[in-house]
Amino acid sequence: MTIEQKYTDLINADIDGEISASEKAELQAFLDESADGQALHDNLSSICATLDAVESEEPPPHVRHVIMNSIKPTPKPEKAPGFLQILLATPAVKYAVTFAAGVFVTLSIMDSDKISNHAFDDVTGLVGTVADPVNAALASSISVTEPDLAGTVSLRSAETMLILDFDLVAKSHIDIEADYTDPSIWFNGFAQLESEGTTISAETGRVRLGMNGKRRYAVYLHNRGGRETTVNLRFLADGKVVHEASLDYTPTR
Amino acid sequence: MSNTDDTKLIERCRSGDRQAFEDLLVKYEKPVFNAAYRMLNSRDDASDITQTVFLKVFESFDQFDPTRRFFSWIYRITLNESINWLNKTNRLEPLVFEAADDGKGPEQEVDSARVTQDVQTALMTMNTDYRSVVILKHFLGCSYMEISQILDVPEKKVKSRLYTARQQLKDALTGKHQ
Repeated sequence: MTIEQKYTDLINADIDGEISASEKAELQAFLDESADGQALHDNLSSICATLDAVESEEPPPHVRHVIMNSIKPTPKPEKAPGFLQILLATPAVKYAVTFAAGVFVTLSIMDSDKISNHAFDDVTGLVGTVADPVNAALASSISVTEPDLAGTVSLRSAETMLILDFDLVAKSHIDIEADYTDPSIWFNGFAQLESEGTTISAETGRVRLGMNGKRRYAVYLHNRGGRETTVNLRFLADGKVVHEASLDYTPTR
Repeated sequence: MSNTDDTKLIERCRSGDRQAFEDLLVKYEKPVFNAAYRMLNSRDDASDITQTVFLKVFESFDQFDPTRRFFSWIYRITLNESINWLNKTNRLEPLVFEAADDGKGPEQEVDSARVTQDVQTALMTMNTDYRSVVILKHFLGCSYMEISQILDVPEKKVKSRLYTARQQLKDALTGKHQ
């Protein structure tokens, strides 16, 4: 069958809802006279209905998070750096301050073997290295792509320091347990990009974190012997485990 | 598709407002992902393309022509990135279509998952020019004029490609395509 181009255009326009009243009348007159034209109209309508019935795909939940974490931070009005900021801009000092903060926390732990507190508001200012841990080599990393929790957790090492780098987004409150059974490892500090929003408690061999929404934070562990070790992570929603993973650290000799 | 809202968001993005960018991301993540997925037939590849597209958009706000519509721009980037990806991975050759011989026409198929899979397989038999117009028309809901702007081809060409594409899909879905 051969149908004039003008009428195939009108048939398409009709199916796509891009036809004027006069064109519609012209098309109808043609279809009333042409069985081939009507058959083409029916066929194309059918294929379009099939196409329109295709359900759209949901993007994986981590995609948005990865994109937002890949873009540069919002530039803020520049102000002259204070003495403390200049001092802390020096990696060695920054690292030392981190360590000192860790020692303070560790002493608290040794005193009670258990602490529970909201994250220190001023630790962000002290450290500021969550996104760029000082000379910290990546040891291992895991991705979490659960419906309500997505992102990455990395284990980095810098000399005797192990850094758990959490970069996560949760739709609702999530508890995280990080277990390290090696007795030569202890909790040494905590930092987060936001000044609040994450809670943390620590005891021998375990750090517990609570978070909701988009969070970037780091847990510092002191690995006294620099030994090979594994940190086991459990992510819980309403007390139920939604994801489990392990991060390994193997020292380079 | 409200272009006014997009224009305001883009203005805020240009001044470094992350929240505005996230708002655009929330609005366009799904259509961008779906366009890439229909072009590439791979969720993993579509995820990568989605990330690439939004990072390009973020880095190129200064190049965006505010007299144009944002969705035209981002959809064009999506299709171009997808086609580049197909070129890089040598997957431009249409796949051999294996139609299910169950005696049913597409209109009789009741299993939506099966329909979706058949349509996707049929889409992959088409060259990227035809696949693009089908995606823009049926999965992104663009008008002839919008497709014309996105692909930078005359509306007449859009109509003729769409017509040919639908004929090919019909043949593929009814198992006549060789």
